[in-house]
Amino acid sequence: MTTLSSRKNSAQLRRGQTRAAWTLTVPFLIIFAAMFIAPLGYSLYLSLFSSQLVGGEIFTGLGNYLRALQDPSFWAGLGRVTIFLFVQVPIMLAASICIALALDSGRVRGGRVVRLLVFVPYAVPSVVATLMWGYLYGSDFGLITQLFHAVGLSAPNLLSPKNILGSTMNIVCWEFIGYNMIILYAALRSIPEELYEAAEIDGAGQFRIAWSIKLPAIRQALLLTVIFSIIGSFQLFNEPNLLSNIAPNSIGTDFTPNLYAYNVAFRSQEINYAAALAFLLGIIIMIVSFVVQTAANRRERQA
Amino acid sequence: MTTSVQSTTAPRAASRTAARQGSPRRRSSRRKRGSTVLTIILWVILVYFLVPLVWLFISTTKDNSDLFSTFGMWFGHSFQFVANFESLFTFQHGVFWQWALNTVIYAVVSAVGAAILATACGYALAKYRFRGRNVVFSIILGSIMVPLTALAIPTYLLFAAANLTDSMWAVILPSLASPFGVYLMRVYATDAVDDSLLEAARIDGAGEFRIFATIGLRLLTPGIVTVLLFQLVATWNNYFLPLIMLNTPSLFPVTVGLAQWQATASAGGGAQVLFSTVLTGAFVSIIPLIVAFLFLQRYWQSGLTTGSVKG
Amino acid sequence: MKFRKTAASLLSVAAATALLLTGCSPSGPSGSQTTKPVTQDQIDKAMNTPTTLTFWTWVPDIQNEVNLFEKKYPKIKVNVVNTTGGAQHYPKLRAALKSGKGIPDVAQVEYDYIPSFTQTKSLLDLTPYGGADLKGDYVDWVWNQVQTSSGVWAIPQDSGPLGTLYRNDILTKAGINGAPKTWADFATAAQQVKSKTGSYLTDLPGNDMFQMIGFFWQAGAKPFGYDGNKTVSVDLNSDTDQKVVSYWQDLIDKDLVATDPDFTDAYYQGLAQSKYASWLVAAWGPVFLQGTVKSTSGKWRAGDIPQWNAGDNVSGNWGGSSDAVMAATKNPIAAYEFTKFINNDADSTLMLANQQFLFPTKTATLSTPQFVDQKSDFYGGQQVNKFFAGVSSTVDKKFEWLPFMDYVNSSYTNTLGKAIADHTDLKAALASWQSQVVSYAKQQGFTVK
Repeated sequence: MTTLSSRKNSAQLRRGQTRAAWTLTVPFLIIFAAMFIAPLGYSLYLSLFSSQLVGGEIFTGLGNYLRALQDPSFWAGLGRVTIFLFVQVPIMLAASICIALALDSGRVRGGRVVRLLVFVPYAVPSVVATLMWGYLYGSDFGLITQLFHAVGLSAPNLLSPKNILGSTMNIVCWEFIGYNMIILYAALRSIPEELYEAAEIDGAGQFRIAWSIKLPAIRQALLLTVIFSIIGSFQLFNEPNLLSNIAPNSIGTDFTPNLYAYNVAFRSQEINYAAALAFLLGIIIMIVSFVVQTAANRRERQA
Repeated sequence: MTTSVQSTTAPRAASRTAARQGSPRRRSSRRKRGSTVLTIILWVILVYFLVPLVWLFISTTKDNSDLFSTFGMWFGHSFQFVANFESLFTFQHGVFWQWALNTVIYAVVSAVGAAILATACGYALAKYRFRGRNVVFSIILGSIMVPLTALAIPTYLLFAAANLTDSMWAVILPSLASPFGVYLMRVYATDAVDDSLLEAARIDGAGEFRIFATIGLRLLTPGIVTVLLFQLVATWNNYFLPLIMLNTPSLFPVTVGLAQWQATASAGGGAQVLFSTVLTGAFVSIIPLIVAFLFLQRYWQSGLTTGSVKG
Repeated sequence: MKFRKTAASLLSVAAATALLLTGCSPSGPSGSQTTKPVTQDQIDKAMNTPTTLTFWTWVPDIQNEVNLFEKKYPKIKVNVVNTTGGAQHYPKLRAALKSGKGIPDVAQVEYDYIPSFTQTKSLLDLTPYGGADLKGDYVDWVWNQVQTSSGVWAIPQDSGPLGTLYRNDILTKAGINGAPKTWADFATAAQQVKSKTGSYLTDLPGNDMFQMIGFFWQAGAKPFGYDGNKTVSVDLNSDTDQKVVSYWQDLIDKDLVATDPDFTDAYYQGLAQSKYASWLVAAWGPVFLQGTVKSTSGKWRAGDIPQWNAGDNVSGNWGGSSDAVMAATKNPIAAYEFTKFINNDADSTLMLANQQFLFPTKTATLSTPQFVDQKSDFYGGQQVNKFFAGVSSTVDKKFEWLPFMDYVNSSYTNTLGKAIADHTDLKAALASWQSQVVSYAKQQGFTVK
């Protein structure tokens, strides 16, 4: 008897829970479908057509994708963000890790203040960050030039075509070192101290502990920051778009794939081609993120 | 994306404890020696992060000619702080006020809306077993990879087709969907809300929604604040979406407005020299967020711990 | 089962989306327009009917001129939307046209952009409303910019005939008296200025296509042509254009001109700090300069642009804009009358010239004493307006544009502009500019002549 009623009860309970689950999930899903799935689908749909100023829209299937794959501008942008990925991301993350480790070691006086202040740039909009750095870079009057002149050196033109990628990297570093540092620091704080107390007693140095105990322990957090940085690099737009105002000859319309898609859509008026470019970029990002994750997880399993 | 699902559910005793306490686990109180070298190095590094901000503040006190001719890290010949603010708030009939107000509206509505949606969804995904759960979660996780700016152009086209561009909704609606927020809330809810608590409430006869409202929300507060703050920052700093969605200057957020002033200042046209005004506007626009972060640090730091540790 | 329900709701969102998609239609001409000449009665009726017009412009404080109009026609209210110009004005106008929502009645359009809007049939032909009758009021070459064989598409607002603004003190120091007369003189002067004062004689920016096109224009080139329908001609790689870029190549190679981007903070510093001794600029330049480099007041003078052939007196144009009535307007008569008032009324045009510093296009304004007799201390008491009014009549009369100058411009930045900035081969870059523009035109379905 009792088992029967409790089973009936639990079935009821279960149904109630399922209903509650969907009621709580559906509002998000509707917005999600309208703001993520629908635009993606629409983008895919658009990318299969080709529109001309004269003659209107025609179905071209994968034509836009083939064109993109042969488009030197698309590849140039992709090449640039790849360089960005391999230079800026390691520097940024290395800096984040070092600061996080230093703060975690508990040997920095005023560490709490340092932690907060390093994080502050994250709260600065990229528009404002780029604006400020643009002034600091200014070739005849910028602070950096002033400092070079003050010590009697000739200042490099940080806005020249040769240097602009590095200057962009610096802005992104400034914006995100603190953010990544906080994520890594939080992960470091949750490592059980027993893990390395023994090593400390055995006389292992701080560097050794950091390298062989702490870093492996925060692998997941590191992976998260790497993935986010990959996505961020491929999506680079705000900084170059705003820098192009003050360095118009250093940043072409195809400086990054995103900037290129934007210019194709709004300046060349080729919406369909822009949709294909955006879609292609999304696919590339997903593939790269996936490969990185898989590689990281495989290594973890091997370890 | 199955790999990420696995990695998030991989049990990690340490972080669970941490999350349950709602803040990073305190270490043993054995005080460490401060290292002078390390301290100096870090404070020097800090200069890098602060110089641009200090420069920005000093620049708000300069007029246009001092801005270009005097040393960046010290005050100019005259102190124009008040004049710059006056110019900021009166130029183009005080449109900057409007922009500031718009930014607040966009950021607050989006952040609150996104946090509510993400909390409900994340809680449900964490605490209920139902068919389709893994599918839904995998799709949401996968969508974190989708470049937002790649979405912006098709979203713009959709909104244009729906006659929704150039309205406040055009900025708010897309900001309501935060897959990362759902992800964070799911991870957070898994740890922070104990199943036995829910069971006990059910035995007491409480309905599912009451349980969510009374027990769930209370335990999830740090997580909610984290999502709220990050969505707040995301919308506050958003540039691309409003840039393409909005035509009418009175709908602009501060970011788009300032960028446009800066472009005007450079492109000239009406011989308006606006550099100091733009910089003063930039300074004003970053104050609220910095203050919010400093005051709410207790919340976001603990919320972030969970998200990242389980990432 | 529940999952299916969600799937269904997702589907319905998708369906709604599809509905939205099909609802998107380009804006055709609305029914309120006419091809028959409008009578005075119709005009009187329209101007006495309460109407609200939307006007997109980036002219600062144009509200003052609008107030004059509203005072004369109290029934008509004009909603001025300041789009602040820049890169966003046209994409936004096109977006509005495409979605059919929020299209202004009247919009400011630069001359070089008019074909891109006539191509999409977005502009109202002003002929039936009396637009063609205004021809005689404007400088010939300017009027040619707004009228084609198929109609009158806009009313001229301002223009930018090219001249030379130069630092008298620096040129005097280098032993040069006044602005160089010919391009050959200019090259010699560049040498002298560089060696005696260390300044560059001028700056050739790699980011400003319209200055370069102004030089082409002055040299007599006709790089673009458009028949108003499907045929364009692109002749950027002509002998004349090659002559122009070779000339500059020489000066760049000898390091006698700077190649900094213009209109940037650094550029203004260059002007203020005597890095450049002259600026080859349009008639809107003088006031602009005055506002930017106050510290050099009194040292500047205005002179003619150097000539290719000694004794000639020809100029080109750089910039300027018009106001066009959008084809989608519901109030074509009021919109036309407004556009006409702003750019034709004596008080309004004088105000535009003297308060907003838009260089006039109307011949009457160009000879109004209140405009031409002004003396400027910044230019050592010279009557700069009178000078440029004279230049205006020397601009080559016929110059056409392509219906996709946006693309031409971004292509310029990546080809010739880049070559200028990087000090590489300008002639080769000119050729690749030509070929990029041609292939874009073909891609867009145009016949390239």
